[in-house]
Amino acid sequence: MSEPTKHELRRDCSVWGSYMWGFADVGADTYVAIGLVMSYVQGASSLAFALAGCVYILIGLAYTELASAYPVAGGGPYYTLRALGDFWGFVGGSALLLDYTIDIALFAMASAGYLNFFLPLLVGHGIDYFAIDLGPLHHINPLWCIETLTIIGFLMFLNIRGIRESSLLNEIIGVIIIATSSGIIILGFIFAWQPDLLVHQWKNEFPTFHNFMYGSSLAIISFVGLESISQAAQETRRPATIIPRTSITLVFTVFIFALAFSTLGLGILPWREFAKHIDNPIAILAQSIPFIGVVAGPFTALLGALILLISSNTGVMGASRLTYSLSQYQVLSERFHVVHPKYRTPVRAIVIFSLVGAAEAFLAFLTPSAMDTLGNMYAFGATLGYTLVFIALMKLRLSDPYTPRPYKMPFNLKWRYKSRQVEIPVLGILGMLGVSLILFEVILTHAVGRIAGPAWMLLCFCYYTWYRRNAGLPIFRSAPHSWEADQMQVLEAAEEFDLLEQYKLSLSERDRQLKRVNRVSSQKG
Amino acid sequence: MPIQIHPLGLALALLFAGTMGALLLWMLWLPVQIPAAAAKAHRSVFAIKRILVPTVGQPYSERAVELACRLGQEQKAEVILVHILEVPRTMPLGVPLPEAEAEAFKVLERSESIVTLHGLKPQKLVQRARIAGEEIARIAGEQDVDMIVLGARAKIGLRDEILGRTSDLVLRQAPCEVIVDKLPSSESS
Repeated sequence: MSEPTKHELRRDCSVWGSYMWGFADVGADTYVAIGLVMSYVQGASSLAFALAGCVYILIGLAYTELASAYPVAGGGPYYTLRALGDFWGFVGGSALLLDYTIDIALFAMASAGYLNFFLPLLVGHGIDYFAIDLGPLHHINPLWCIETLTIIGFLMFLNIRGIRESSLLNEIIGVIIIATSSGIIILGFIFAWQPDLLVHQWKNEFPTFHNFMYGSSLAIISFVGLESISQAAQETRRPATIIPRTSITLVFTVFIFALAFSTLGLGILPWREFAKHIDNPIAILAQSIPFIGVVAGPFTALLGALILLISSNTGVMGASRLTYSLSQYQVLSERFHVVHPKYRTPVRAIVIFSLVGAAEAFLAFLTPSAMDTLGNMYAFGATLGYTLVFIALMKLRLSDPYTPRPYKMPFNLKWRYKSRQVEIPVLGILGMLGVSLILFEVILTHAVGRIAGPAWMLLCFCYYTWYRRNAGLPIFRSAPHSWEADQMQVLEAAEEFDLLEQYKLSLSERDRQLKRVNRVSSQKG
Repeated sequence: MPIQIHPLGLALALLFAGTMGALLLWMLWLPVQIPAAAAKAHRSVFAIKRILVPTVGQPYSERAVELACRLGQEQKAEVILVHILEVPRTMPLGVPLPEAEAEAFKVLERSESIVTLHGLKPQKLVQRARIAGEEIARIAGEQDVDMIVLGARAKIGLRDEILGRTSDLVLRQAPCEVIVDKLPSSESS
């Protein structure tokens, strides 16, 4: 890592700020995924969310261990780079960049969708009224497309200017979202929930196996965005203390919300209602609750639009932090490090990836269901990235046991490796198998994802090859990195003094052990 | 929309509220931050992984064993117990000393029981040497220990060095940290 510069990220994020950073990204996902998942999984939606949620918890625990041990920007691709080398760091980074660009497109689209809740009141027609057929292309919605592109343009402009939503605003909105969502769930269960309706839908509206596979692989969308806490690790105070708590809380918060909304929804309305209102399912649910329905519906629509706007914004910000991190390790060009001379923002990364997001949104609108198309690709990037993170977790347990781990995934098997005792994470293996299964489901059932995803990876590979050749660096091997010095610098900057001393102690014990071994070998020789 | 109240719905609402509240409370309840100086001091003691304790079977040396165990407890240090048989220069170093050796093993067994009481791993050594202090320092270097804990006699005569000959030599020649535990003269051995 380079010496601290004036562009060094400030450690200003508190425990609530760290949690909100993650919640702003992940919390919005359920607002999008509920409609998508229910339209395929129908009466078994709760099961789909539960299964995807169990895999997600394992992913969350893996991120918690890695983000608290390596509190730097970069997230999953950084851990992959560290564990498996530059090439695999690039693969993980490409998968995540795909997701960030889709994040920009999908959540801008969903934000516009929630705003369209008010369209009947304003113009007397719903959004579907504006859908047209264009030659061989059916059900194209130009109005929704224009709304989406306008939102993306606005976010791009905002991020170039450097007018970021303040941490306080983010936190206030987050509190309102949690309070509103909790209110909907609690009042819904008390005053509107009918277990008989849930059971009836489970028994009579159970999906086909293919639809269940497709829907449960889409359910992972509910949980994508946990990355954000690890991306914010370099800006978090006391990351080794705070990140385990905020990550675990976020993981279980989102799991509980996803399960609660799906169970509540199927006990209040038929799944077809959610499929019909795929663009604002939570608002439809809120509207159906006695006492609060009249107000809750429009309020949730507005709130949904806002949280999805923020979530789309985290895509723009996330792409810039990721490229900032990868360019430091020569996986991407240093040009992504360049900041605007006046606004001091990474303008190149912002413009490029916002335009990619806009292009994806535009192309998605040429398909019959734009949100479904984007959701397709989102699942591919997320599951590929998460698979690599699990592999990185296990590899780092073996190759870097010296870095202190304030949080470790539970249930480990002790194993003797190169005359050291290491711990193999059983849950990490299960998580890797689970997310690989979802990746397999995605490739099998997502017609767009299995083509667009690998195509994106190939495009990124072409860039990577060109960049590394020009820089005189190997393509499949790694450039030299000073991980130990970097780690000490990071721990010192993070004010994690106890971990820093622990790390120094581990390294000196390792060196002493090596000296002893060398001494014994030379004596024998 | 008609009101539908079901006991299971009430239970789920309560479960949801309780779980969310507990989660958020746990997240916000942070432990106190450790300052840099405290972390450095704490970890410097945590770094002590091998402790050498010379023992002569006297209460003051057995107390030194107990002190060493307390120091090494948190980090599960290895405690190396050594008894030095000082052989005068008038005799060869390898001269048979069956009674002295038998006594040495008894001394080490007593000290070993103190170490195992703390759940630590003891190692026992009986070494012959001309001068105990020099031999202790040599063993410390050979065994790559982090610390020597030495008990000193309570009663010091007018002619003795302040800490006794052995302690004095160890302090001068040891390649590692040395702690000397000297009880006040008023306490009988």
